[in-house]
Amino acid sequence: MIVLVLALFVTPFVPKARADSTVSREYQVKAAFLYNFMNFVDWPEEKSSDSNEPIIVGIIGSDPFGGAFEPVKNKKVKGKNVVIRRFEGLKEQKESDENDQEIEAIRECHVLFICRSEEKKLKKTINLVKENNVLTVSDIEGFPEAGGIINFVMEDQKVRFEINVTAAKRAKVKIRSQLLRLAKRVVEEEPSDEAKS
Amino acid sequence: MSILQNMAIKHKLILIIMLACITGLFLAGAAFIGWERNTCRDGMVRNLSTQAEMIAENCKAALAFQDAQDAKETLQALHVEPSIVFGCVYNKENRLFTSYYRDYAEIKVHPSKFQEGGFSFADGFLTVFKPIVLDGQTIGTVCLRSDMSPMYAMLKRNISIILIVLFLSSLAAFLVSSRLQKVISGPILSLAEVAKAVSGKKDYSTRAIKQSNDEVGLLIDAFNEMLEQIQHRDLELVDAKNQLEVRVEQRTAELTTANEQLTREVAERKRAEEQLRKAEERYRTQFEGALDAIFIADAETGIITDCNPAATRLVGREKSELVGQHQRIIHPPEVIAGEFSNSFKEHLREKQGLTLDTQVITKKGEIRDVAIKANLLEIRGKKLLQGIFRDITEHKKAEKRQGQLLDQLEKTNQELKDFAHIVSHDLKAPLRGINTLVKWISSDYADKFDEEGQEQMNLLLSRVDRMHNLIDGILQYSRVGRVKEEKTQVNLNELMPSIIDTLAPPENITITVEDELPMIECEKTRIIQVFQNLLSNAIKYMDKPQGQIRVACMEEDGCWKFSVADNGPGIEERYFEKIFQMFQTLRPRDEFESTGVGLTVVKKIVETHGGRIWVESKVGEGSTFLFTVPKRRASVEEEKLLVSLNA
Repeated sequence: MIVLVLALFVTPFVPKARADSTVSREYQVKAAFLYNFMNFVDWPEEKSSDSNEPIIVGIIGSDPFGGAFEPVKNKKVKGKNVVIRRFEGLKEQKESDENDQEIEAIRECHVLFICRSEEKKLKKTINLVKENNVLTVSDIEGFPEAGGIINFVMEDQKVRFEINVTAAKRAKVKIRSQLLRLAKRVVEEEPSDEAKS
Repeated sequence: MSILQNMAIKHKLILIIMLACITGLFLAGAAFIGWERNTCRDGMVRNLSTQAEMIAENCKAALAFQDAQDAKETLQALHVEPSIVFGCVYNKENRLFTSYYRDYAEIKVHPSKFQEGGFSFADGFLTVFKPIVLDGQTIGTVCLRSDMSPMYAMLKRNISIILIVLFLSSLAAFLVSSRLQKVISGPILSLAEVAKAVSGKKDYSTRAIKQSNDEVGLLIDAFNEMLEQIQHRDLELVDAKNQLEVRVEQRTAELTTANEQLTREVAERKRAEEQLRKAEERYRTQFEGALDAIFIADAETGIITDCNPAATRLVGREKSELVGQHQRIIHPPEVIAGEFSNSFKEHLREKQGLTLDTQVITKKGEIRDVAIKANLLEIRGKKLLQGIFRDITEHKKAEKRQGQLLDQLEKTNQELKDFAHIVSHDLKAPLRGINTLVKWISSDYADKFDEEGQEQMNLLLSRVDRMHNLIDGILQYSRVGRVKEEKTQVNLNELMPSIIDTLAPPENITITVEDELPMIECEKTRIIQVFQNLLSNAIKYMDKPQGQIRVACMEEDGCWKFSVADNGPGIEERYFEKIFQMFQTLRPRDEFESTGVGLTVVKKIVETHGGRIWVESKVGEGSTFLFTVPKRRASVEEEKLLVSLNA
């Protein structure tokens, strides 16, 4: 699409007081974007039936955000509270009962951020939640091609994102055109190689 | 307003209609323009707000994800609306996020003031602010500016159209009103023409023509009626004028006559005045020259206003000392009671014209007696009392002297009468003694006296008798004046026979009463005495063998006239007076025994009764004694009888 110019000084969700070395500016912006995505995404009925149910944001793998969610912790999205859950990365082979329980919890999430630590088990993680209307977000290169829905990319030190529309369709997560319009790249392809991962 | 008052009625009407038209249209136009302007503005605001709303919606995501480029592209869509000259998006911190300009310099149209929302009109632009809300949170603001000039252009066009319509309507209204005003002004103007003609020519027979049945029609009717009345009045006026001329002529003639009469009257008055003046002059002459003093004083105040020279002489004062003074100063204090002198008061009260006696005092204090006759005069509405004073001081003195003399005379007379009475009374006692003594001597010494002596004695006795008779006569006479008997009604018819009986006349003498004798008021014994004396005289002196004595009575000059007539010797005329004097007898005493007192007493009695006595006689044929008694207090019955007799 068109190259966007992002002015450096216009970064609305950067809490100045909490800007420390542990939490980078990048992840602060990404955390804010993660919240904003929820405004432009519609989940199917079964996922958002009860309005009292919170929107669950899952973070799988080693959490890069640190305290980046602090400023937005109490913010409501679509009138719902936002709950952040953190999960350990999936094990390579074993599929224990414990894991099954955790998998269920992962599948309950509305948004699942896959950390870079899970790059190797990316395919598996995506496949784990692909039937469960989960908006998968990551900042791993080639995430959309791997069947992820939204992927953060950096351009001129600005945070931007790519969207895999097909993946979104498969996950029955509706992404609004406004969001689509803002995506740096919109991918419309099936995962290239399902068996490989 | 005065301009409007002086205008012709048709111009007034046109002006009023035009003013009404133009005012109505102007107000309608103004309302329309105002309404249009507001509608336009509302429309623009609504339009621009919608646009801003749309922009806000579309910029939501761009703003959320900090995508200025996308926002700019969204704003670019505004170029389809030519009136929007500027648009921009502010971020959450109210900083400019992105903006859009249409062919204008940035600064010129940059909004001067940030607003959260709403709209504002300024500098020919409409500016609308709209907040961008994402999930209940304001994340930015959209600002749009629209150029107002097209709207103003449209308004200008509308105004010019309305002005043209206004002009055309006014023109139409003028034309229509110019024609239609005749409906109202026409009758009024024609009425005015008629009124002008009437007042100019004084032709009241003209009538205005009625053209409509409205108020003007009523006015014309009223006017015509008024004209009719005026015409009627005018005719009456002309009649009255003619009559007036006749009347004026009559009046003039009357006036001329009256004038002539007046001239005559004036002349008469002049004459009268002349006469008056002369009269006054005469009066003045009389006044000045009068022997009696004349004072004129104000009847109310008593101030002396005038007096004549005699008056000044009377009181011994100058005229200047009297005029202006109160009338009291000419009277001594004794005759002044209160304010005025007695005489002044009395004259004022009721005794006007009467003569009153009073006193005046001279300047030197000398009191003088005066008789005053006063009259009340009214001169020029002022009451004046004119008093004429006669100095009666000398007269009074004389009167007083006379009175004194009379008193003296009376006293002397009385003394004389008393003296006569006393003397005769006292003389009678010694005379009686002498008589007795003589009788004794002649009887006791009868044998001693010779014939001569006897005769002397008889002579003495007769002289004593005569003496006695004389004294009796005097006594009688004096009694007549001295002793008064009460007067009673005496019927002479009853009285006469007894008188004759008492006299016992000899047989050769007959006494006849010829007439019916009247009732008279008198002293009874005196009148008996009168008749006795007269009859006894007639009997005594009778010399005829057949004596005739007649008593008669007749009425004459309010008196009863009695007569006693005889056919005796008669009396010589020279003795007619003498016989009534005392002690007068016509024969020698020795021939007829008579005292000469009888007729004197008779005369005195008659005279005391207010009558008179006299005698008529012829020597040898007889004499008639006549006397009168006034009828004065004769009885009423007597008078009635007389009246019937006379009738």
